[in-house]
Amino acid sequence: MSLTSPTDRPPTATAPTGDVGGPVGAGVRPAGPTRRRQGPLWLMTPGGLLLLVVVVVPFVLALWMSVTDLDQYTLRQWAGAPFLGLGNYVEAVTTGPLLHSVWLSVAFSVLTTVLTLPLGLAAAFAAHDRFRGRALVRSIFLIPYVLPTFVVGTVWRIALGPDGAVNTVLGSVGIAGGNWLIGDRTFWTLVLVDTWAAWPFVYLLCLAGLQSIGREVHEAVAVDGATWWQKTVHIVLPSLRGPLLLAVIIATLHHLNNFTLPFVLFGSPAPDQVNVLPLAIYSASFQTFRFGLAAAMSVASLVLVLIPLLFYLRAVRLDTGLEKGAQA
Amino acid sequence: MSTRRFLAVAGALTVAVSLAACGGGSSGGGGGDHAGQTLQVYLSKQSQYPDEQQQWMQRIKDEFRKKTGADVEFETYTSASEEQQKIQTSVVSGQGPDIYEIGTTFTPTAYSSGAFLKLGDEQWNAVGGRDRFVPSTLAMSGPDEADQIGVPFSSIPFVLVYNTQMFAAAGIDGPPSTWDELVADAKKLTQGDTYGLAMDYKDPFSPWKYIWMFAQQYGNPLVQGTTARIDDPTVARAYDAYFGFLTKDKIVNPDAVNWASADATANFASGKSAMFTMTSAGVIPTLAKSPVASSYAFAPMPTVPPGESALPAGGVPATTIVSGQNLVVASYSTQQDLALQYVDLVTSEAEQQHFSEVFGVLPVNAAAADAVASGKEQYAPVLEAGKQAKPTPFTGAWSEIQLGLTNITVQALAGLSSGSVPPDQVQRQLTELQQTAQTAVDKAAAAR
Repeated sequence: MSLTSPTDRPPTATAPTGDVGGPVGAGVRPAGPTRRRQGPLWLMTPGGLLLLVVVVVPFVLALWMSVTDLDQYTLRQWAGAPFLGLGNYVEAVTTGPLLHSVWLSVAFSVLTTVLTLPLGLAAAFAAHDRFRGRALVRSIFLIPYVLPTFVVGTVWRIALGPDGAVNTVLGSVGIAGGNWLIGDRTFWTLVLVDTWAAWPFVYLLCLAGLQSIGREVHEAVAVDGATWWQKTVHIVLPSLRGPLLLAVIIATLHHLNNFTLPFVLFGSPAPDQVNVLPLAIYSASFQTFRFGLAAAMSVASLVLVLIPLLFYLRAVRLDTGLEKGAQA
Repeated sequence: MSTRRFLAVAGALTVAVSLAACGGGSSGGGGGDHAGQTLQVYLSKQSQYPDEQQQWMQRIKDEFRKKTGADVEFETYTSASEEQQKIQTSVVSGQGPDIYEIGTTFTPTAYSSGAFLKLGDEQWNAVGGRDRFVPSTLAMSGPDEADQIGVPFSSIPFVLVYNTQMFAAAGIDGPPSTWDELVADAKKLTQGDTYGLAMDYKDPFSPWKYIWMFAQQYGNPLVQGTTARIDDPTVARAYDAYFGFLTKDKIVNPDAVNWASADATANFASGKSAMFTMTSAGVIPTLAKSPVASSYAFAPMPTVPPGESALPAGGVPATTIVSGQNLVVASYSTQQDLALQYVDLVTSEAEQQHFSEVFGVLPVNAAAADAVASGKEQYAPVLEAGKQAKPTPFTGAWSEIQLGLTNITVQALAGLSSGSVPPDQVQRQLTELQQTAQTAVDKAAAAR
């Protein structure tokens, strides 16, 4: 959260400009920062090696798998699996579920993110000001987020069953609940359950953002005689831009990659309405043993994930820019 | 965060490959004196009987040490995906358990990987010979007698269970022998919130078994040689009958669109359904504690398909698949002789009878099966069904076909719950599945 509280941050040795007035002498100023930045690069070696083993090697393997016909017949001699070129990609797009699943995954992620945003924001506003029992309310707000996804899925699957809690409650007010776990409604079931599980993440980031607004800002606004609405629109929301953007991007990535929730709610094969990308990849890989095809779909999903990821990287850099501006 | 995103997506599939380097290894050696050797066995967890399984493992360990001087190390899996990962990791890395317990319908896939020991006469003799086993259970050991990898370990035939009290009250003499008779009986037994037949339309496995069974009875084995016959009219007819129990005959509780096998069992156990098909002797512990404890009986399912008064020409009187568990020995294992001695032990008459008594499955050992049948009248129809069991097509394409057949039911659930499944929806999916299946069958043929 320090990203959004530039004014709280003490000047550090890696600060890009020395004119904050640190202990650095005027004479060494031009050469100092450059040497300090390059000097400890070797310290990155362990992290770099880890990155290589944990990220680069599996990624390269996935790329390689995606252009081979790796399946149950070739798994044993996996290094010799026949080369297919773009065959798996073509199959995934033409006869496979890729396009449908991509569309579903995107729609699901965007909708869920859009729904969690106002919820999280409202909850952050509610839990920000001091009141009796605030600690309890804050803890309760976090429950959906700290529950393992598997538990969330299981509980909701039971609650949304034909004789489950949801239909019982709806029935008591005269509404026939119907089927939540089969048919056209499954997509909305998935969106609603994931919204329920994911909004506290937005709430957390927003609350942290709210807390980083200094007391003196509030005091100055009060002295100026601004109303609550003016303060919210002109002061609070603009300073929440950073955390909100982060929340949106990270939440979208979470939803795109969520395998456990749809799997526990609907199983595999899943209804077509919820056959999101992670489920489609699981099915190709572990139910029909088409590892090459599944790898191709994984690479496609990686491209999909890269889009919000690029926004994320940009957003991080954007914040650094703000930081410079604030300090200048 | 970005690195974790990368990992989650790119690494999900390669995890088996990257784990290869750290897969568990089995101890080397082999032959001669077996003392000091350790055999690793990977088997399914008996979730219903955890304590009993611990005791059984200890019993086998003791017996095996007495017999060979070697130790046995057991590892259990609780889900199919856990089992898959272990097998895939071991196959890729060439190290892992010496013996795996795998399901009969997964055996064709395991066979096609070429990662398991082929059983010739010498190997069969080491485990007591083919004659030791109930003949039908050998049908899923391999594509033909010369190419087998699986030794039967347990048998779980699918049968019909019916409420004898409700049958008597409705004046029905005994279990039906044709599916039309079953429907007629069920109509008599359907009253108010009590239904003639419990169904598990939402089960992850049951649906394809019905389609396979009806298609067989109509004369279509689904895969004939190197030809997939999914778009054959008999398959559409099978779905029509299967969905029709609910939509046309109205002998099934509409809630069944949300039921898996356990839910349908619970409904039968509460006395709200008079029959439940495609079930097994595994429901005995549940039924024993239920209101119907003294009023149920098993029977083989009818062998004459829906809409027919006799088995059609070319039809096969199939009711249950050859169901249960096989034992396979890894071809990378350095102690295959020892592994076969283990298989010999657990498929012996005494051990099979004991295993059956403890866990409620049926023996694959012919002598043990006879002993169990004479001891418990309840089991006789189940054993009979097991003897008549028919194998599913032994092709590497089967997993694809099985999943596709189940998927058609999954996509039809919404229609089922609203009262009708559009026939063109099923037909369109069957046409698609035909292509997928034929491609998979061709691939399997090319790989052999």
